[in-house]
Amino acid sequence: MPAVILPQTLDELLDLKAQGHTILAGGTDLFVHMRNKKIQPQTLVCLDQLKDKGLREVADTGDEICIGAAVTHSRLIQNPLVQQHFPVLIQALDTLGSPQIRNMGTLGGNIMTASPAGDSLPPLYVLDAQVELAGKNGSRRMSLSRFITGPGATGLNPEEILYRIWIPKQPSYDLHHFEKVGHRKSLSIAILSMAALIGLTGDRKIRAVRLAWGSLGKTIATSPETEKRLMGTPMDDPAGFILAAARIREEVSPISDVRAGADYRRQVAGNLVLRLCQGPLEPLKQGPGAV
Amino acid sequence: MKLSFTLNHNALTLETEPDRRVIDLLREDLGLTGTKEACGEGECGACTIRVNKELRLACLMIAAQIEGCSIETIEGLAGPDQALHPVQEAFVQAGAVQCGFCTPGMVMAVTDLLEAIPDPDETQIRKALSGNLCRCTGYQKIMDAAQLAAKKENKCLP
Amino acid sequence: MNLISKTSPSVGASQARPDALNKVMGHEKFAADYYGPRHLWAGVRRAGIPHGRLISVSTEAAKQVPGVKKILTHKDVNGSNRQGVIQKDQPVLVDDRIRHCGDALALVIAETSQALETALALISFEYEALPGIFTTAEAFQYGAPLIHPTHPGGNCLLSGQLVSGKGLEAFEACDAIVELTIDLPRQEHAYLETECGEAVYEKGELSIVVSTQTPFRDRAETAQAIGISPEKLRIIAPYCGGGFGGKDGITVQSLLGLAAMACPDVPIKMMWSREESFLAGPKRHAASLHYRLGAKQNGVFHALEVRADFDTGPYDHLGGAVLGLALEHAGGPYRIPHAAIQGKAVYTNNTIGGAFRGFGVPQVAAAMEQAVDLMAEKLSLSPLDIRMKNAVQKGDKIPSGTTLKTSTGIRECLARLKAHPLYREADAWKKKAPAHMLRGSGMACALHGMGYGPFVPDTAIAKLELTKQGRFKIYFGVVDMGQGNGVTFLQMAGDLLNQNYENLELVLPDTGLTLPCGSASASRSTYTFGNALIQAVETMKTRLTQRAADSLMVGDGDEFCFIPGHLRHLPTGREFPLAQLAALLGPEERITISRYRALASKETVTQDTALQMHGIPHTVFSYTAHLAHVEIDTLTGGITVCNYTAVTDCGRLINPDLYQQQMQGGIAQGLGYALYEDFITDKGRLLTANLSTYIIPGALDIPPMALSSVDLQENTGPFGMKGVGEICIDPVLPAVANAVADACGGGRCRQWPLTCERMLEILTIPVCPPGADMNRSLI
Repeated sequence: MPAVILPQTLDELLDLKAQGHTILAGGTDLFVHMRNKKIQPQTLVCLDQLKDKGLREVADTGDEICIGAAVTHSRLIQNPLVQQHFPVLIQALDTLGSPQIRNMGTLGGNIMTASPAGDSLPPLYVLDAQVELAGKNGSRRMSLSRFITGPGATGLNPEEILYRIWIPKQPSYDLHHFEKVGHRKSLSIAILSMAALIGLTGDRKIRAVRLAWGSLGKTIATSPETEKRLMGTPMDDPAGFILAAARIREEVSPISDVRAGADYRRQVAGNLVLRLCQGPLEPLKQGPGAV
Repeated sequence: MKLSFTLNHNALTLETEPDRRVIDLLREDLGLTGTKEACGEGECGACTIRVNKELRLACLMIAAQIEGCSIETIEGLAGPDQALHPVQEAFVQAGAVQCGFCTPGMVMAVTDLLEAIPDPDETQIRKALSGNLCRCTGYQKIMDAAQLAAKKENKCLP
Repeated sequence: MNLISKTSPSVGASQARPDALNKVMGHEKFAADYYGPRHLWAGVRRAGIPHGRLISVSTEAAKQVPGVKKILTHKDVNGSNRQGVIQKDQPVLVDDRIRHCGDALALVIAETSQALETALALISFEYEALPGIFTTAEAFQYGAPLIHPTHPGGNCLLSGQLVSGKGLEAFEACDAIVELTIDLPRQEHAYLETECGEAVYEKGELSIVVSTQTPFRDRAETAQAIGISPEKLRIIAPYCGGGFGGKDGITVQSLLGLAAMACPDVPIKMMWSREESFLAGPKRHAASLHYRLGAKQNGVFHALEVRADFDTGPYDHLGGAVLGLALEHAGGPYRIPHAAIQGKAVYTNNTIGGAFRGFGVPQVAAAMEQAVDLMAEKLSLSPLDIRMKNAVQKGDKIPSGTTLKTSTGIRECLARLKAHPLYREADAWKKKAPAHMLRGSGMACALHGMGYGPFVPDTAIAKLELTKQGRFKIYFGVVDMGQGNGVTFLQMAGDLLNQNYENLELVLPDTGLTLPCGSASASRSTYTFGNALIQAVETMKTRLTQRAADSLMVGDGDEFCFIPGHLRHLPTGREFPLAQLAALLGPEERITISRYRALASKETVTQDTALQMHGIPHTVFSYTAHLAHVEIDTLTGGITVCNYTAVTDCGRLINPDLYQQQMQGGIAQGLGYALYEDFITDKGRLLTANLSTYIIPGALDIPPMALSSVDLQENTGPFGMKGVGEICIDPVLPAVANAVADACGGGRCRQWPLTCERMLEILTIPVCPPGADMNRSLI
C-alpha cells in the first residue's frame, strides 16, 4: 500500500522526485502496472493538487508550440493550436485507448511509458518534438528520439521530471497522416502504426517527407533511406512508393508477440507507405510481396 | 486522509486511505454499487463515472485524486423522486438493457456525449461508446437508445 | 417509474423488461453487489502449473498475515470434494492431481482484500511435475500420460459416431466432392460480471447468493462436494451479469460454501478478477474439423463425412454433451441421405472446455457452411440456390438421423433472405469497393435443437401465487442472465390473466422460494418454463373464477372474465376485486403449481448408449439464415463487417425486442469468434490473460444488423415460440468466411480466428494459402 503525496508547487514536486518517488500522472498505465505487480512503488506523487501552469497548458511561443506534460489527450485533441499545427498528432491521439482513457492519460505519461506502441510517439517523432526535463538545478531540452532509449527506458535522470514537450510548427508539410493497425477499432494496442508528414511541390511531387513507425522495433522506427526513396516521387505514381515500402521492409527486424508475428509487421510497415500513394495501386497484383 | 469532494451534487467529507481505489470507495465504503468493476485495468468501461464533468474510470483512480472534485455516478443521474434521466428512460424504452452490468457505464457515456454533442450521428455515438464493452447487446440497441435520448433532450419527442 | 407499471403486458409486443429500470439507475443488486455487514473476503490460490501430482500445500507463512482468518486445503473438505455437471471429476480443492493451471489448491478467508492478496501470494506447494497434454493429438500418442487414470476411455472423455444411409460408401456415387479442414480457437465468455457470490453459514444453514445459470443443480452439486445436506443449502440467484454458458456449472459455489462453513455467522464474499475468470472458467471448446461433402451434378447433396475433435480440457464439465450436440447438428439444416459423422471430446491440460452459447454447433456450422459454399462454387450454383435445393422440410431427416417433426422454417428463412436488399444489391455494393479494399458477400445457415434431449428430463415447475393484495406473483427458477425470460413470463401471465404490470411480480430463482426449473441454457428457458407457467395460470384462472362464482352464488366460472385487479361477472357487470377474492382463500389455495416436461424424442438415431445419454436426438429446432458483407483492407488484412442481416425461424415472437436483442448479441459474439477472439495458451499457460489481449468487439467493430423473423407457429411452444438464445451465434463465423472467400477469389482460413495477420497471408500467397489447398474441391 503506497503512501500518497500531493505536492502543491513545482518545487515540492521536484523535491519529491529527487527523493526517488514515483509520479502518478493519468494513472492509465501506472495503475495497470501496479495491479500486475510490474512495479510496486512505496510512494506515489499525485499531480492533481499541483498549481503549475507549465505542466498543464498548451502555449504558442512563436516558432514552437509548448505542451505541458500533464495535458490530457482529450485536451490536446480539443486544442485549437494543436489542431492547426499538428493534425498528425490529433489523428493519432484519436485512436488512443478510449474516450475515458483519453480523458485521463497525459502526453507526458505516454512518453514516459516509452512503449514502442505508444500512439503519440510516431507523430511526435516526425514532428521533431523535444522534451524539456526539469530538475532542481534547472531544465534541459533534448530531442524525443534521443530521449527514448528502449521499451520503457528513457534518458531521464532520477531527479528529473518530464516537464514540457516542445514541437516546432510545420509550415513545410502539406499532408499529415497517421494510421494504426489494431485488432479492433478502439481500446487497441497498436500492432503497427505509422505517422507521415509530406510536403509537395506545385505539381504534387514529394519534396519533403518524414515517416515513423510504432510497434516495429524496440523504439519508434524511422528510416531516412525510405524517406529518400520517396523524394521527388509524384503522389499518384506507385513506383516510388513501392521502392520505399521495400526499403523499410528490408531495414527492420520487428518483434513477434501475442498480437502479431514479425513477418506481418515487416510486410505491413511497407504497406502503410503504399497507402500514401494517391494513384491506382492494383491491390492484389502489386501484392504486398512485390518490390 | 480526510477527503472532501462532491458526490452526486452533495458535499461529502470522509476519512479514507489516500490510495484507496475510487471504485472501492464508491462501492464498498459508500454503498454505491451501480458503478461496476469488470476488468480492473481500464479495458471495459464498466466503472465509468464523471469527474468534473469528464468521463473517467473509477478502477484507475485513487481517493487522493478526487479531493475537491465533483463526482457523478449512475446513482446521481435520476432527478428528485428518482425520476429517470432522459438517457436512462431511453435505455429502457429502446431495449438497450440486457444483463445490465455494462449499463451504468454506458448510460454515463451516452449522457456525457449528449451534453457535448446534442445531436450526434451514428459514428459519433459509436465512438462515444468505444470505451465501454458490452457482451450482450451487440451495441445496436444502445445506439438506438442514444438516438432516442437525443431526440428526447432536443424535445422532438413529448 | 410509470414507464412500465401501467402498461398491460401482452404477448407479441415489444415490452421493456421490468429489471431495466433498476439496471439503468444502478440500483439492481447483482451477486457482485452483495457486501454483507463486516464481510470477509475469500480467495483461491491456483496452481499455475498445467499437470502435476500434488505433494503438499504450505500455508504457514500465509497464516501469519494479519487479517487472515482461515486457510483451507483439501484436508478441510468433508464432502466428496468433487464437482461436475455430468461426471464429478473436478476437485474443489486439489487433493491428488493438478490438471490445469486454474486448479484451486487452497482457500483463504481474510478480513480485507489486501490481506487476502498478500496471503495468497505466500502459499506455496510441493508437487511432482507430470508431462502435459496440450493438443488432442498429444492425448493419443503412445505413452501419453493419463489425465484421469481411472477413466475407462483413457484420455478420450467421449467418442461417438452417427452413421446414416450407406455412410462413407455413398461417396462413390457422388459427382462432386469438396473437402475442408479447419481449426477453431477456444472462446472466452467474457461476461462483464465475473464469477462471484456471497455466502453465510448460520445456525447450520448455508445460504449462497451467486452469479449462476443453474441454482438448483448448484445446490445438489455443491452440497455433496462440501458435505452439507441439500436441504440446509439455499442458492439465491439474482439477475446475472451475463452467462452465455460460462455459469452453467459450479464456479464459486463450493468454495464459498467451504469458506462460510469455516467462518460461520459472517458473510463471505468472493469475486474472481478478470484474470482469474479467464484462467479458471470454462471456454468454448477448441475444435478441429474435417469435412467431406459429396453431391450429385444437379447440386443435390448425397454424402457427408465429418470428423470433429474437441479439446475438452481437464474435466468433463459439459464436454460430452457439447460433443453430442455438435454431432447431431454436424450436417446443418440439409437433407443428406448418407452420412458418417464421428467425433471425440478429448482430455487435455488446457483450460476447461464447457458450455458456451451454441454448445458445439458454432464449431460444426463453421465447417459445414463453408463446405456448402465450396460445393456451390464447384457446381456453379449460387450459395443461396444450393442451400434452398437441399434445405430440410418438416418430415425430413437431418444427416445425423433425427427426424424433424415440428415446425421447420429454413426454406422460409432463405426465401426471405433472397428478397432482402442486402442480398439483391450485394453485387452493386461490391463493385463500389474503395482503393485497396476488396468486398464480398457471404451467407450461412444453421439449425439448433432446444432443450436437453431425451435422456435428462427437460422440466420446469412454475409456481403462481395470488397475493393477499390481489396481485400475482410468478415464482420462476430459471435464471435471467440478460436474455429477458423474466419479462416474457410477465407477458404470458399478464396476457392470460389480463393484468397490468403493477399487478404482477416476479420472484427470482431461489432454491428457498422457487421450484426447480433446470438451467438457463439450451435455448430452453422461455420455452420450458413458459409452458409450465401457462398451465399454472390456467389452473389459477379456473380456480379463481369458480371461487368467485361460488362466492357470488352465480352459475359457474365461465361467466367471469379477468380485468386488471378484478374479476368481472359478465352477465351482471359486477366487478369482484381480486384482493377481496384473495381474502376468501387460504394460503395454499392462492397458489398453483405446474410442472412441464418438454417433449422427448422416442426416435433412436444411435445404438451408442453413451451418446444417447448425451442428449441425442432433439425434437424442436430453430432455423436461421445469415448474410454478411465484408470489406478487406489489402494493405493490412483488416476485415470490416459492413452490414449484416439474418432471418430466423424461432416460432412466434413473444417480445420482438428480445428477439432482436438475442440476435444482435449473438451475432456480435459470433463476429468476435470469427475475427478477433483467440484464447491463446502456451503449454496450458494463458497468453491472453486479460481483456487487453483477449479482444472482444467494441461498438466501432459491429455493423448495423437488420433482423427479421419468419414468424411460423410452433405448436409445442408457449404462444407458438421456439428458443433463439443460441442459434443467433451458430452461423456467424461461416457467413464471414464465405464473404471473405467471395471477396478474395476463394481464399479460406484454416486456423481461426481470421485475424488481420492471417488475412494478409491469404491475400499475399497467390491462388491459395497454406493449408487451404485442402479446402478446395477434390474431383
